[in-house]
Amino acid sequence: MTNRLSIGGQIDRTRIIDFTFDGQSMQGHPGDTIASALLANGQHLVARSIKYHRPRGILSAGLEEPSALVTVTDTSGRTPNLKVTEVPLRDGLQVTSQNNWPRLDRDAGALMQLFSGLLGPGFYYKTFMWPRKAWHKTYARIIRRAAGHGEADTSADPAQYDKRRKFCDVLVIGSGAAGLSAAITAAQAGATVILVEQDQALGGSALTSSDQLQGQPAPDWAVDAVAALRELSNVTVMANTLAFGQYDHEYVQAVETPQNNNATKAIFWKIRARRIILAAGAIERPFVFPGNDRPGVMLANAVRTYIRRFGVAPGASAVVAVADPQEREDTVAALRTAGIEVQGVLEDGETLLGTTGRLHLRTVSYRNKMGKRRRVVCDLLCVSAGWMPTAHLFAQKDQRLAFNAATQSLLPADAGGLKLMQPVGGARGVLDLSMCIEDGKAAAHQAMAELELHRHLDLPRPTPTSHTGTTFNSDQGKAFVDLQNDVTRRDIRQAQSEGYDNIELTKRYTTLGMGTDQGKTSWTNGLLEIAALTGKPAEAIGHTTYRPPYSPVSIGALVGADVGVEMTPVRRTPFHRSFEKLGCVFQTSGDWLYSRHFPQGAETMAQAIKRECRAVRNSLGCVDMSTLGKFDVQGPDALEFLSRLYCNNFATIKTGRLRYGLMLREDGIVFDDGTITRLGENHYLVTATTANTSSVWRHMQKLLQVDWPDMNVDLTDVTDHWATLAIAGPNARKLLAALSPDFKTDSDSFPFAAVREGTLEGALPVRIFSVSFSGELSFEIATPAGYAEALMERVMEQGAAWDITPYGLETLDVLRIEKGHLSVGTEIDGRRTPKDLGMGGMVSSKKDFIGRALLQRSALQAEGRGELVGLVPEDGTTPIPFAAHLSDAPLFEDNSGVSLGYLTASVHEPTLGHPIALAFLMNGSNRMNEILWAHSPVENRSVRVRVSPSCAYDPNGGRLHA
Amino acid sequence: MLLIPCPHCGPRDESEFVYGGATRAQPALDGKTTVQDWQNALHQRTNPRGPIEELWFHSGGCETWITVTRDTLSHQFSDAP
Repeated sequence: MTNRLSIGGQIDRTRIIDFTFDGQSMQGHPGDTIASALLANGQHLVARSIKYHRPRGILSAGLEEPSALVTVTDTSGRTPNLKVTEVPLRDGLQVTSQNNWPRLDRDAGALMQLFSGLLGPGFYYKTFMWPRKAWHKTYARIIRRAAGHGEADTSADPAQYDKRRKFCDVLVIGSGAAGLSAAITAAQAGATVILVEQDQALGGSALTSSDQLQGQPAPDWAVDAVAALRELSNVTVMANTLAFGQYDHEYVQAVETPQNNNATKAIFWKIRARRIILAAGAIERPFVFPGNDRPGVMLANAVRTYIRRFGVAPGASAVVAVADPQEREDTVAALRTAGIEVQGVLEDGETLLGTTGRLHLRTVSYRNKMGKRRRVVCDLLCVSAGWMPTAHLFAQKDQRLAFNAATQSLLPADAGGLKLMQPVGGARGVLDLSMCIEDGKAAAHQAMAELELHRHLDLPRPTPTSHTGTTFNSDQGKAFVDLQNDVTRRDIRQAQSEGYDNIELTKRYTTLGMGTDQGKTSWTNGLLEIAALTGKPAEAIGHTTYRPPYSPVSIGALVGADVGVEMTPVRRTPFHRSFEKLGCVFQTSGDWLYSRHFPQGAETMAQAIKRECRAVRNSLGCVDMSTLGKFDVQGPDALEFLSRLYCNNFATIKTGRLRYGLMLREDGIVFDDGTITRLGENHYLVTATTANTSSVWRHMQKLLQVDWPDMNVDLTDVTDHWATLAIAGPNARKLLAALSPDFKTDSDSFPFAAVREGTLEGALPVRIFSVSFSGELSFEIATPAGYAEALMERVMEQGAAWDITPYGLETLDVLRIEKGHLSVGTEIDGRRTPKDLGMGGMVSSKKDFIGRALLQRSALQAEGRGELVGLVPEDGTTPIPFAAHLSDAPLFEDNSGVSLGYLTASVHEPTLGHPIALAFLMNGSNRMNEILWAHSPVENRSVRVRVSPSCAYDPNGGRLHA
Repeated sequence: MLLIPCPHCGPRDESEFVYGGATRAQPALDGKTTVQDWQNALHQRTNPRGPIEELWFHSGGCETWITVTRDTLSHQFSDAP
């Protein structure tokens, strides 16, 4: 640690931390950042710039750093593009430089500088235009390799992340003088306070200030203030926590990166506050002059920070170019305490002309007041052109910043109205720390009065600190405005002259203000350059849109623990454990984990499906129907309610019977289908499809709560209360009898479309519906969810006589396609009328219902709409490709022709002995037996198909009544 | 994320709600309402810049359809605490 000062700094000198930079071993102390440790080890060259591969060092000491981006590898993997100034030093960190080959100090890419005269904005797009195809294959690849930052780690992230919430009266963002003062004021008034600080240390610029605050040196004042806050039980202090976004209704998102060897790498905090005090401070602005990007050119406050907070000398001999006379003096004082020789101090009227040095600053040239050019040998140039308020979070939420001529910066604009987020201190341009304390206190008092926690004290708010007007900028040579994106003054000029003069266009054309730093050090300089170039006042130019995140946040932190099986909650049906024992293969279906098929031995899925299908058609199968939505409807107006809700007629439905129901949306389009069962005089049970359960429920609730509040109907969602197992197949009635229900099961006593309630074996409570989705004789046996496994046991035991075969979603689908039953998402796709689905005849003309009026719209009644039909291959054997389009010729080979419709479902090996499909076909009901082509551009084949009715299996329904 | 004032549950995050659009008069189901009546009710919305009375379904809470007045410009609820 050659540049570590022998005394001073807020670091723990008793402990050594080992880390590496580009493989070289280095040491630091707890309290260091990677930046301060690199400087302590004499490492000034840290990076190569994105476009020209120019050598770059460390400009700043905070999140605003544009240049010193590195890749950091630790036990959880590799993280690219971190700013060395933002990462607290930890044991074992491997830091590597980016965008250079073969090595940082001898980078072949630096040859790019020879062409820098050509590489203005839009260069790539203007130059690599021909041949057109070469862009993708050649040019883009070469350019991407030559330019850029670090490489992402593509392996799985082993680190743990978490998401948490917090609520408070007052959220204070930033722990400098203004933030500490506001937090203490609010906390003493009894408010619950959260104080978040992005840095590992609390105190902000008070930690490095030479001011006296309330009779104490500023760093001592900060330490005491933090200690006082920690004493208070109504205050939460969070360091290493970056508040990166402000959203509606005082909602702030922050990410904490715990440094205490916590197993959690990052915590994503969602904080809802009643009032927010933004005390994020200000960012220093560099000068724009030739060679201003060389390692060794550093912001003056960063120099003071490295000396005073980290005990590091960032150079041996320095030139000072600081606009504010007081800060100039303070910088010289800091340099002297560190034993750094001060070779020159620029005064008003002098101009920075340029720098030299291959990998590190060697000389600085400037024009003095007499107009003479002076050249000074030094390795550190301390620059400060002024301060820019960190009001990003304020600006993110519909509030604007306005350029203020007195401060030469963008300040939060007063939009009027109740201000629930108040910028204080540096964030609104108040730079003097004593004034910041006053400002924080005044803003907190105002918030306390608004929250009625304190009587109103109308304390004056200090005015923002005026700028001296001093500048050392020179308008000649290659001067960088945006270091991260290699944007020069000339690039900005070119953008203006080419017409990209709107501020948002200038940004996108030149990349000024883009990248991981989002122009934190460059934006105001860019604005002033544009103003000077165009002659427009800076006030009239405005600023680009501020968006979260304020500084990059890792995706891992945002995702939290919601990865893998934890990604979404999983719903399991009551039969899940029973099915597991039967070797079921499950699949996700919405939230549900649903049975897919039940392979036996080494069976493939296709073999299992074939066996399951045959079992249901020839003997007996059982399938889980528990996921269907089930709603209990009771009350004197229940029948009238359901009559308005469904488009078909069931005024005559008798107790103990059920009907199919088709539900339309208000615009006449088919919404959902299900069954309506009359359980009693004023008692019904309706089902909804699995996918539509919550939307049907919401729809029913809205009708009863909002539109028809006078209806006397009680609705209860009983979806999870019932486990439902369908037994299906020619032997279903025999099994039902074998299960010993306490009611008659013959076809006269228990016909199709009926319900019976009772028990099995005198003990197992059941409600049994004779209803079928498979086309076979079928009974859906519902039992309270807790009895599911007992029911499954009985069914498997008694069903063994008929080789009962459990089946899953795949077989369910094959059987329903053969029968021409509808499925939500494929046939019920949000565009179909009942007539399109072959159910036009069901629509009642005797009543009014939801969707009746708009179903009459001419386009919905017109001829030539797609109508549901069945298809069979003309040769009886060739499977019909999935998602094929229909036409009267083998189409699309020359990209011509018109599609007459398309397939919604196709089964290659059904039980019918030939492949079948369902399709929407233009005017389909009038095309029976026509021969068409089903063409798949995906499979690149066409099959001749015959149009047939959508119900291919047992069209008269005789099997249902057996 | 909006903080929506539920009269039963208090102020709750927007993610607990499903939006129901602006309130509107529901045409009667008396067999007489015309296509035009429903077209107007369903599709002809004022979409104002300013206060709007609207419906939210508190699906992650009390399952009530609540009616609130929200300023579409500032997102402030006029009846918010």
